[in-house]
Amino acid sequence: MMSPFRCILYFSGLVLVLGLRPVVHHPLMIRFQNCAGNRPLQLSGELYSNSFGEIFSVQQFKYYVSAIRVSGEHEEEVLLKEAHLVDEGDSSSLVLHLSTDLADIRTISFVVGVDSLANTGGVQGGDLDPMLGMFWTWNTGYVYARLEGESDSAHSPAHRFTWDIGGYKDPSNALRTVTLDVGGRSGLTGGGVRITADILKWFDGKSPVHLASSPVCHEPGALAMRIADNYSTMFSVAP
Amino acid sequence: MKSFVTIGCLLMVVAWMGVRKPTPMKLPVPAGWPAPQYDFKKNPLTKEGFLLGRKLFYETALSKDSTISCASCHQQFGAFATYEHPLSHGIDNTLTTRNAPALQNLAWQKEFMWDGGINHLDLQPLAPLTAVNEMGETIAEVLHRLQRDTAYVRMFREAFGDTAINTQRMGRALSQFLVMLVSADSKYDRVMQGKDSFLLPERLGYGIFQQKCSSCHRAPLFTDLSYRNTGIPPDNTLNDYGRMRITGDRRDSLKFRVPSLRNVAITHPYGHDGRFFSLLNVFEHYRKNMIVTPLTDSILQHRLPLSNFEIGQLTAFLNTLTDTTFLKNPLFAPPGYVITPVFIHRH
Ligand code: HEC
Ligand code: HEC
Repeated sequence: MMSPFRCILYFSGLVLVLGLRPVVHHPLMIRFQNCAGNRPLQLSGELYSNSFGEIFSVQQFKYYVSAIRVSGEHEEEVLLKEAHLVDEGDSSSLVLHLSTDLADIRTISFVVGVDSLANTGGVQGGDLDPMLGMFWTWNTGYVYARLEGESDSAHSPAHRFTWDIGGYKDPSNALRTVTLDVGGRSGLTGGGVRITADILKWFDGKSPVHLASSPVCHEPGALAMRIADNYSTMFSVAP
Repeated sequence: MKSFVTIGCLLMVVAWMGVRKPTPMKLPVPAGWPAPQYDFKKNPLTKEGFLLGRKLFYETALSKDSTISCASCHQQFGAFATYEHPLSHGIDNTLTTRNAPALQNLAWQKEFMWDGGINHLDLQPLAPLTAVNEMGETIAEVLHRLQRDTAYVRMFREAFGDTAINTQRMGRALSQFLVMLVSADSKYDRVMQGKDSFLLPERLGYGIFQQKCSSCHRAPLFTDLSYRNTGIPPDNTLNDYGRMRITGDRRDSLKFRVPSLRNVAITHPYGHDGRFFSLLNVFEHYRKNMIVTPLTDSILQHRLPLSNFEIGQLTAFLNTLTDTTFLKNPLFAPPGYVITPVFIHRH
């Protein structure tokens, strides 16, 4: 029989060993870099061309990322559950300062959009405040991503094209999960990952969507689903 | 020294008063009704929240040119519909594209609008606030205006514990007012409770109603809250296809939510675009004018035959659904109209 005294001693030893095991929080900075092909994206009237030769400028480019998670060889960790709005027009929104327990990160994944709980749970705050305009008031739901600009190819009023993509109900659920490889990239050595988002992929990431035929997308449905499929391919980890 | 202590104590008392817990209030759930759908856990009803919601509901500063409040289109004497208007007026001589429905028993509804497009009561105000043909304002500007108004700053603190004024709190406060709009004290209700009795035409009308109408206009809400196509052809200026715009499903073409018939005697004109000026027009529609298509509700595939006699009895019955207690309740009137709310339940 172990004496109660010894028992306590062993137990506290155990607590000490477990408690002192170092858990290191590695800072992890994620920087979103929006671009058009190999040029940085600018909202100041700069002209770009998609793969069909349609020339356009961009006035707004925004998207929600949520459920950001990283995985190492065996473990996985959720770094940020809430939705974060990346807005090209607001430089502070392009950088996220997070921290991870994992020493070695192989992949990073996130959802483009806002989970259905936030779409059905009444008025949300923070980055999900409907005041920010990424929200449909007449047909409840978040706009997950917006690309808006002008193009002579767009036969809509003032040649404006507006692509507001969203939808949380089947069969129009436009949530897309993106998983990117970061293992061994030098990008991580400085404590950060640079994720580029290429707007040109909105037009042809998986299937062609022309400004001439579809200048406006303002509701969940088939067109929103195709564009969501397209932009789910726009992300990559910058070397 | 002594005075410092006194002042200190006074300050503490003031601070304590400032963070005083709001007074809980209870939704009156009529006997025999189902459980409410509204999630009170996230937004507990309080006297302070209700009074704030009521002030917001009657607030013209919510609109771009400060001419229109929620109550401009939702008038108490019309059961919170727009009295005698097929469509309602927004700012700058605009018109809504649908008939403003009565606002009643909203705590039992999960979806809002004629097409069910809005899935939470807290979100409902954002639609009229931002619509160019209603109040035409931005949420940011409305919040900014409220933040500069000391009366609102005080009332938001009393209702929510601190002075933050944001979209979520505005929605929740308005909901606290809206859910309290319970109408369940009509003659019909009193008859059901054994406190009153129907006159002969009312009783006959009730029988016809149960046979021909209650599969859709089901008691106690007098709607089953489903969306149905009743063979109303679309108006070619409004081109409103109802539920289809929300679901994107062709089978939902021309489906609209079954409206409650509580207080129906005073909510004319009728129909989603207010095209029926009287109950008689509605009956004529059901028995003669319906355009039946394969998408028309299966119950109405042969229209809804009604004799003149039946129409008379039905009208007598529908009149028993008018709830004058509700229409005159000073609790729901503009702030200032009544100083002490008389029957707020305190628990
Ligand atoms: C310009 C007129 C107008 C104003 C102002 C207005 N409404 Fe409405 N309201 C309507 C109309 C019209 C509908 C029906 C719309 C539809 O179904 O598409 C409606 C629908 C509603 C509904 C849904 C009822 C149901 O049974 O589904 C609620 C709740 C409501 N309004 C509350 C409000 C509140 C709160 C405000 C103020 C922030 C407000 N309204 C301002 C005209 C108005
Ligand atoms: C198949 C379901 C169904 C049946 C049966 C039915 N209704 Fe309706 N009723 C509706 C729907 C849906 C509307 C809304 C139509 C619209 O505006 O698009 C409506 C609208 C009305 C309105 C207009 C109310 C308003 O506020 O605009 C009245 C009055 C009415 N019904 C009375 C009756 C009576 C009386 C009967 C029985 C004789 C009846 N209904 C049978 C589904 C039904």
